[in-house]
Amino acid sequence: MTTLTLKLQPKAPLEGEAITPDNFLGKPAAAIAGLPAMHGNEPALLGDFFQVDGDGSEEIVLVGDLRRVKSIAAGMTRGTVIIQGDAGMHLGAGMRGGEIKVYGNAGDWTGAELAGGKIYIRGNAGHGLGGAYRGSRRGMNRGLIIVDGNAGNEVGAVMRRGVIAVAGNAGDFTGAFMIAGSLIVFGQMGIRAGAGLLRGSIVSLKPAELLPTYRYACTCRPDFLNLIYQKLKREGMSIPDGCATGAYKRYSGDFNRSGKGEILIYDQR
Amino acid sequence: MQFDNVVCAFCGCDCDDISVTVENGRITQARNACVLGKTWFLSHSAPAHLPVARIEGKTASLEQGIEAAARYLAQSRYPLIYGLSSTSCEAQRKSVELAEVLGGCIDCCTSVCHGPSGMALQGVGEPTCTLGEVKNRADLVIYWGSNPAESHPRHMTRYAVTPKGMFVPEGRKGRTVVLVDVRRTPSARTADIFLQIRPGKDFEALWALQALANGRELDKAGAAEIGLTLEQLNDLADRMMHCKFGVLFVGQGLTQTRGKHFNTSAAFLLVRALNRHAKFALMPMRGHGNVAGVDNVLAWQTGYPFGVNFSMGYPRFNPGEYTVVDVLSRGEADAALIVASDPAASLPGKAARRLAEIPTITLDAHESETTKIAKVAFATATAGIHAEGTVYRMDNIPIRLRKVLPSNYPSDEEVLSLLLARVKELKAC
Amino acid sequence: MLKIINGEIYDPVNNINGEVREIYVDKGQITASVAGGRTIDAAGMVVMPGGVDMHCHIAGPKVNTARKMRPEDHRLDPAPRTPFTRSGVGKTVPTTFVTGYRYAAMGYTTAFDAAVPPMAARHAHEEFSDTPIIDKGFFVLMGNNEFIMRQIAAGEHEKLRHYVAWLLQASKGYGVKLVNPGGVEMWKSLGNARSIDDEVTGFGVTPRQIIESLAEVCMELRLPHCAHIHCNNLGVAGNWQTTMDTMKALDGRRGHLAHVQFHSYGGRPGKLFTSRVQELAEYVNTHPNLTVDIGQVLFGDTTSMTGDGPLAYMLHQISGRKWVNVDVENEEGCGIVPVEYKDKNYVHTTQWAIGLEWFLLIRDPWRIALSTDHPNGASFIAYPRIIRLLMDREYRREMLKHVNPKAIAKTTLPDQDREYSLYEIAIITRAAPARILGLKNKGHLGVGADADITIYDKNEDKEKMFSSPRYVIKEGEVLVEDGHIRQETYGRTLYVSPQYDPAVEKDIREYFDRYYTIQFENYPVQLENYLPRPEEVAID
Repeated sequence: MTTLTLKLQPKAPLEGEAITPDNFLGKPAAAIAGLPAMHGNEPALLGDFFQVDGDGSEEIVLVGDLRRVKSIAAGMTRGTVIIQGDAGMHLGAGMRGGEIKVYGNAGDWTGAELAGGKIYIRGNAGHGLGGAYRGSRRGMNRGLIIVDGNAGNEVGAVMRRGVIAVAGNAGDFTGAFMIAGSLIVFGQMGIRAGAGLLRGSIVSLKPAELLPTYRYACTCRPDFLNLIYQKLKREGMSIPDGCATGAYKRYSGDFNRSGKGEILIYDQR
Repeated sequence: MQFDNVVCAFCGCDCDDISVTVENGRITQARNACVLGKTWFLSHSAPAHLPVARIEGKTASLEQGIEAAARYLAQSRYPLIYGLSSTSCEAQRKSVELAEVLGGCIDCCTSVCHGPSGMALQGVGEPTCTLGEVKNRADLVIYWGSNPAESHPRHMTRYAVTPKGMFVPEGRKGRTVVLVDVRRTPSARTADIFLQIRPGKDFEALWALQALANGRELDKAGAAEIGLTLEQLNDLADRMMHCKFGVLFVGQGLTQTRGKHFNTSAAFLLVRALNRHAKFALMPMRGHGNVAGVDNVLAWQTGYPFGVNFSMGYPRFNPGEYTVVDVLSRGEADAALIVASDPAASLPGKAARRLAEIPTITLDAHESETTKIAKVAFATATAGIHAEGTVYRMDNIPIRLRKVLPSNYPSDEEVLSLLLARVKELKAC
Repeated sequence: MLKIINGEIYDPVNNINGEVREIYVDKGQITASVAGGRTIDAAGMVVMPGGVDMHCHIAGPKVNTARKMRPEDHRLDPAPRTPFTRSGVGKTVPTTFVTGYRYAAMGYTTAFDAAVPPMAARHAHEEFSDTPIIDKGFFVLMGNNEFIMRQIAAGEHEKLRHYVAWLLQASKGYGVKLVNPGGVEMWKSLGNARSIDDEVTGFGVTPRQIIESLAEVCMELRLPHCAHIHCNNLGVAGNWQTTMDTMKALDGRRGHLAHVQFHSYGGRPGKLFTSRVQELAEYVNTHPNLTVDIGQVLFGDTTSMTGDGPLAYMLHQISGRKWVNVDVENEEGCGIVPVEYKDKNYVHTTQWAIGLEWFLLIRDPWRIALSTDHPNGASFIAYPRIIRLLMDREYRREMLKHVNPKAIAKTTLPDQDREYSLYEIAIITRAAPARILGLKNKGHLGVGADADITIYDKNEDKEKMFSSPRYVIKEGEVLVEDGHIRQETYGRTLYVSPQYDPAVEKDIREYFDRYYTIQFENYPVQLENYLPRPEEVAID
């Protein structure tokens, strides 16, 4: 296990993309401390800001207020990153494998364009969770993201595959232009969920105001949801009673695209 | 002395048919200009009273100002260059190089006006045209979330509504003009149809129209939600699908309300869908005289139209991360260079306050809220009055600015060149 | 001063085919001898004139809108600042700086943008001012110019000629470009031209008349480059007939057909297409008034950008990807769509093969120029790979195994054994494009030529050889060594200035007052402000 404890709060954004198990593996603490990290426009080393303990293994623990540290574990393919504190933007963006756990909040674009692996955020997530960068054809394209708290706008935008589950509320445009995949919000979704949805499922346990391009189709008990809930439970997420076996109102849309997507709203009756 | 065919660089129309009269070293008349243009020409011809440079409010020479400003910038870790929408492309080009040499952020007023239109272009593309296409062909003109009568007073008379064009020989009579907004603005007077929608329902309205253009039917409840009747929505959709050449001008009522780039994306997608039925174009109503120019300069030099960061030695782009409000309100920027803009007066409180906390440097022809808090303030010549240069209209057509008055002040381009040279020395690159 | 010794020289203009000779450079030109200066020992190396790209899209409104549209593309290819170079991004629509550096690093020293609407000429020149190292110029879009169509309809050929000359002067352009003549005008009301004999709605002319008239005018004005034609029906199955009709319509007049690969399809519109290169290539082979560039497709992601608005809309309809259309008043239009060419795709394989068939079936290399129609078929960065495909039969055969077998079976490509020699490569990448453009000082190494020289290490892998030259010399300065830019300079902008009768301005001014939104006086590009290093290419 490698432990990085923040000893000096960066004054400018610190580029933390060197912090991945792939990069740390097999390196002694001194070598890890010697990895580069741009501090604003100034070349710096991880060791300038972090106390590094332990040897490079597949498990990294980060401790401290890391809101100014960007792109932690971005692109990682293996291993585990545990964050005791808040993480900055782009946490796990483009990640391909392994696991990230945040015991705190995560910034904007967490898990953006995720290609595999798991991210579990105990606190809140910012905007663009599992989403896409500007212009991208696809957002998240595999993997699993769980948020115990709330998430911001554009959760799962242009998502192609995978599962995102938010225990709290989600912001506006949840699942906007989503291509496929599953997105579950236990709390309240913001306005305009599923705008431009092509295929895939957006699930809400609370009532939601839908766009005029959605149509009520039927009330159903989808099997796949049960499987997803079981999977989420195994990952440690607590699932509200009844939602696994209860009925859902199915709205199909977005009819400005194919109309082959669905928003499932838990029928609380 | 009279200068003809002068460009008014105040707003994104960049009307180039102004006749400017200069008497005794002052502009006394700006014929053809609108009320905003006249004010712009006349107010910029006041005699000079500001010192060319001030350091913490004290008069300094240009050289002293450059030295002080260059030191602040060269020492900073996360400097921000901002503004640029009311200066020439030549000055903008220098600014981008300065941002690159500094390894800082560069952002322009686009970020707080039509950035969401740029993001919509990145998401879904943009069917558009030049203003002359509107003049020559448009028989359906729609303004949405825009009040041209007050923001671009000659837009309707010179380009879009009244002029006679090649395929609209009868001019105004040959066009149907629609205004969609959340309140009745003075522009409604010119419109044949005014549709007042509920605040915050632009996206829903555009989305519903797209559904109609896609051959779907809507229910009354959906229309009522938007604040219109189903008949009104169907009528508008019908007009859009059956015109010869339609154009949708989108304003800040779309870009700066909840939904932002999704609102503009909805507009762009609507126009895209309409092209299955009728030739249809859209155009963002760009505000400042050269805000389209800075998007262009940034795009050709960095690949991105606004909100660019050079920390890594190469350009990166991410609205929300490198954009002015964000780098200031998160307290990341540790120095700022403001070119021809007044963010201290116009940005949200937290961002504006940050400008006062860090070394802020300004280039401006006038005293402003921002020059007042600046550590170093340069007084510069105004592009289009005291200095030549290039501007791009809202339809991305470039025009050459004239110099109609002499000036004791250097141009933005000159100050930026000096600053760039000194910063390069200090940073040894 | 510079001396290059011991190198194998490939200089087809001067009939030098791999002989070891010395080359002398002074004051930016090739000279007969020098005393002193640097000596480059090019033993075991290949020396050629700098490459000339006669058809690419590198500057102006269309390119820049494509840049704005594709942040996801730029992110993949950042180019950091160095002590000698500005930063930027690359990939399919590189920034201006990166465009200049990458052409230079590949041994190309001249490039021509193929489609600039005159109304935005100033924009193209501004970008050229920020495009380092290479010399550049552009062709002015005229094939849908409404003033031009009116003159043709009215039989005012003289006035047409004066107007074309005025427009070239006003825009500081280099040549006359036709893009889907008449069709782009029709697209302004959702139509398109389907043959060269369709009448352009509202103007009473046909594409055929536009092609004939402008080809004639280019010859009458004695422009260094002939009419540069992007035929009607690009990308449409069965369009080979339109291409054939266009070539026949030229009827002995000089004409350059751009990116012919995209215009050589058999079959019926809406159906899968087949190759009809054989018939077209044979026609070109037997008609010396015609030249072509290829528009080779390579597999991968790219950005399609064209003055052909209806074509871009068709591409958007096929792929559903983001779409830009810009109609320019009285002049032109353009369209932009991201495109991905896939090797397993029937259509894409056919396009790839058709391009190569063109290269291999044209007998006279002097009438063909290598191009990808950057970035439409692929980025210009792909040129070395195309060279390998042409020089290395085995490599070509290997590639055939990975493409769509059904598609490839319907082409003649598997039967083609021809391999290009270094001499022929020097022709299609330098000597021929320079000659087709009418550039007397470029594309060769004779005394008086511009000292734009590329020196390659020999390598069996021709892709490697041509991607990273050992030295690139521009105007006598060694700017690239071992693949790195050592010095940043700015090349020249080439333009023509044909004479016209000033009386024509009265009509043009009147036309401007009625139909343009820019004043006549503000339209022409100011030489002193927008061409930092102008070079007027003489008209003989």
